[in-house]
Amino acid sequence: MITQQAVMDFLRAGSYIADDAIATAVFLAIRMEKPILIEGPPGVGKTGLAKALSTALDFPLVRLQCYEGIDEGKALYDWEYGKQLLYTQLLRTQLDNYLSVSSDLREAVERLSAEESLFFSKNFLVQRPVLRSFLSEKRSLLLIDEIDRSDDEFEALLLECLSDFQVSIPELGVVEAKRKPLTILTSNGTRMISDALRRRCLYLYIGYPDLDREVAIVRAKFPEICETLAHQMVTFLRKTRELNLRKPPSVSETLDWAQVLSILKANQLTPEIVASTVGVIAKHQTDLQKVTELAVQELS
Amino acid sequence: MERIITGFVAALRENGIRVSPGESLDAVQAIGLCGMEGRKATRQLLRLTLVKNVNDIPAFNEVFNRYFNRFQFVDPEVNIPDLLNAAITEMEGEFTYLNEVRDDHDDGQGPLVKIDSEVNPEDLQELKSLTEIDPDDVDGIEITVQMKGFRGKAKKPPRPTRRFTQNPLTIELDKSNNFDQHRVIFSPEEQAAMQDVVSRMMLRLRKDMRRMKNNQNRGKLHVIKTIQKNYRHDMVPFQVALRRKRREKPRLVVLCDVSYSVSHAARFMLLLLHTLHNQLLDVRSFIYNRDVAEITEMLANMPVNDLMETIDKGDIVDLDENSSFGQVFLKFKKSFLDNLRGRPAFIILGDARNNYGEANDWVLDEIREKARYMLWLTPEERETWSRGDCLMDVYGSYCDKVEVVKTVDDLSLVVEDLLRDIYADTAHPIDRKLLREAKAAEVYDPKDYYHRGAHADTVPVFDPSGRSQWSFHPSERSQW
Repeated sequence: MITQQAVMDFLRAGSYIADDAIATAVFLAIRMEKPILIEGPPGVGKTGLAKALSTALDFPLVRLQCYEGIDEGKALYDWEYGKQLLYTQLLRTQLDNYLSVSSDLREAVERLSAEESLFFSKNFLVQRPVLRSFLSEKRSLLLIDEIDRSDDEFEALLLECLSDFQVSIPELGVVEAKRKPLTILTSNGTRMISDALRRRCLYLYIGYPDLDREVAIVRAKFPEICETLAHQMVTFLRKTRELNLRKPPSVSETLDWAQVLSILKANQLTPEIVASTVGVIAKHQTDLQKVTELAVQELS
Repeated sequence: MERIITGFVAALRENGIRVSPGESLDAVQAIGLCGMEGRKATRQLLRLTLVKNVNDIPAFNEVFNRYFNRFQFVDPEVNIPDLLNAAITEMEGEFTYLNEVRDDHDDGQGPLVKIDSEVNPEDLQELKSLTEIDPDDVDGIEITVQMKGFRGKAKKPPRPTRRFTQNPLTIELDKSNNFDQHRVIFSPEEQAAMQDVVSRMMLRLRKDMRRMKNNQNRGKLHVIKTIQKNYRHDMVPFQVALRRKRREKPRLVVLCDVSYSVSHAARFMLLLLHTLHNQLLDVRSFIYNRDVAEITEMLANMPVNDLMETIDKGDIVDLDENSSFGQVFLKFKKSFLDNLRGRPAFIILGDARNNYGEANDWVLDEIREKARYMLWLTPEERETWSRGDCLMDVYGSYCDKVEVVKTVDDLSLVVEDLLRDIYADTAHPIDRKLLREAKAAEVYDPKDYYHRGAHADTVPVFDPSGRSQWSFHPSERSQW
């Protein structure tokens, strides 16, 4: 029996600092066997959560990166046509022998159709991520990344998989999941996800973390950064987020910056250091200027 | 327990958050798994299971606080268990009272000290657990007396479910002062005329579009399918299977000024584009005055006249404010620009009269980065573009094209041209060439097949009385 606290602890062991909402969502997803839909600005650790979970729980990570035009052949399953053709060619003599026993055409057809399922069996099925995670012997973690990049049709395709954890293959029938994978969907909100999909998921919004949690995140990833510097960094970054930048720095930028500062062996933030490393935080030309100005204003 | 949740779900629905029965079942299950330990945890549980949209979270928090927060502040000295027991007795009474009121109206009896059969001890235990307070909770010391809220609720009329209502007072004012003067409702004839404009336009476009679509769908050779298809011919490719390209509708984003100066044209524009929506286009529509709001959903789901009325009442964006383009662009960038898909074509309709506010024209630069094409439609002649508070010159420099549009017919021609351009962009190279040639030929051909603007009497005549300065008949163009 795991609890929310346990979830938080094992995520912390994987150096992912979760807050209550995240821990509760993960706990519920594990217990209720429902997918989680995570939304939030880019770089706040949506995909990171899935990765941390997969290592912490020791579930193999099956990742499906969505893009415009993805379809079932790429996401669920596909038939290996080449292999099927090759086999029919190779087995031609066998087939001849097998069918030569039959006296007339009707019987031959009957004999052959009895073996039809051979050619549409799992031998010729290519498992794509969703099916692979369903059929994995060990409970796996299925990460459907950036679902908002896919099309509406693909979303509809996922509905069956996500609500019943099964895939309908016309030639084989319904394939059910051996172990229901822990499923995580992420979205950056570039497109509205349909209500049908939302209903099948728990909904988790991850925003920018609060000061303490962000400091904790920095400290967990880069222990060599001292508490005061981490605090100073995070406070500064939180101010830049209020600047109305084109791309406000998110947690991933915080971590990049922490890495840069630890390489530079900086002990304290000064306007000069910010100016020389500003490219890590701000990703647009206009933003660069605003951030350096803020640094001069705040830190000198 | 279930009853509390269903009651809460009903309250959420009243406030415009859509919750399906499946989701409320989830919530009950989740609470069964985690228990109700403190307000914070319960709120998280309910939010995870019931709310599926970021925009709904503030509304959810509000409802949650209202629903589960029928609290009284108490002195910490007071014996809590005693108080709880008192509270529970009170609750029992109220439950009964409520049921009395609800079920037997003519009975008229006051609250009875009789335990309602529907409330079982477990329910009360659950309620009790609700009142256990997390000391860390920001809300401070409180005792949640759950039923308090029900008392008011039974008497209160149900909250209006409109989500965009503003201060009721302003709406009242609107109704008495401006509403009737500026009320624009399309008469059936006008609607029919618009349908006519649209259908003639569709007729002109259809032939080109169909051919283009067919070509668009044709792609490279699909090797596997070809092999499969020709297996019976011993792999001699008699029948060729081609890959189908994903059919993509051109995307269009329309920003319409609905302030009084240009309102009628804006309405027509919206209607026009949404008649085309689903047939040829993927349209997202926004209206603005000082604020900006998306009305795509509403246009799709509401009857036109109802929607126009809602817009006129100022329920969606306040019409009494002076329009401010600078602010609108900023707000648009903040809330919508990031989640526009693909590379849509932008149409902005407005007079660019900024009422001397901040121009914020840099936002247009960002929009242009995202847009395939930017078109500005203005009712003002070129001479007045830099006069007074008009920023057309400034804004125009960011657009691919600025068109002066005064009549409904002008508008439909402009939109038609735009459609052709958009389609030509995504069309097969051969088609693109044909289209360009056809377009070039059209201008010089005196016996124009399409009668573009040649027959004034085929243009639907709109009654301009009581409308803004927008004129609808070509003969009135001279006034401008």
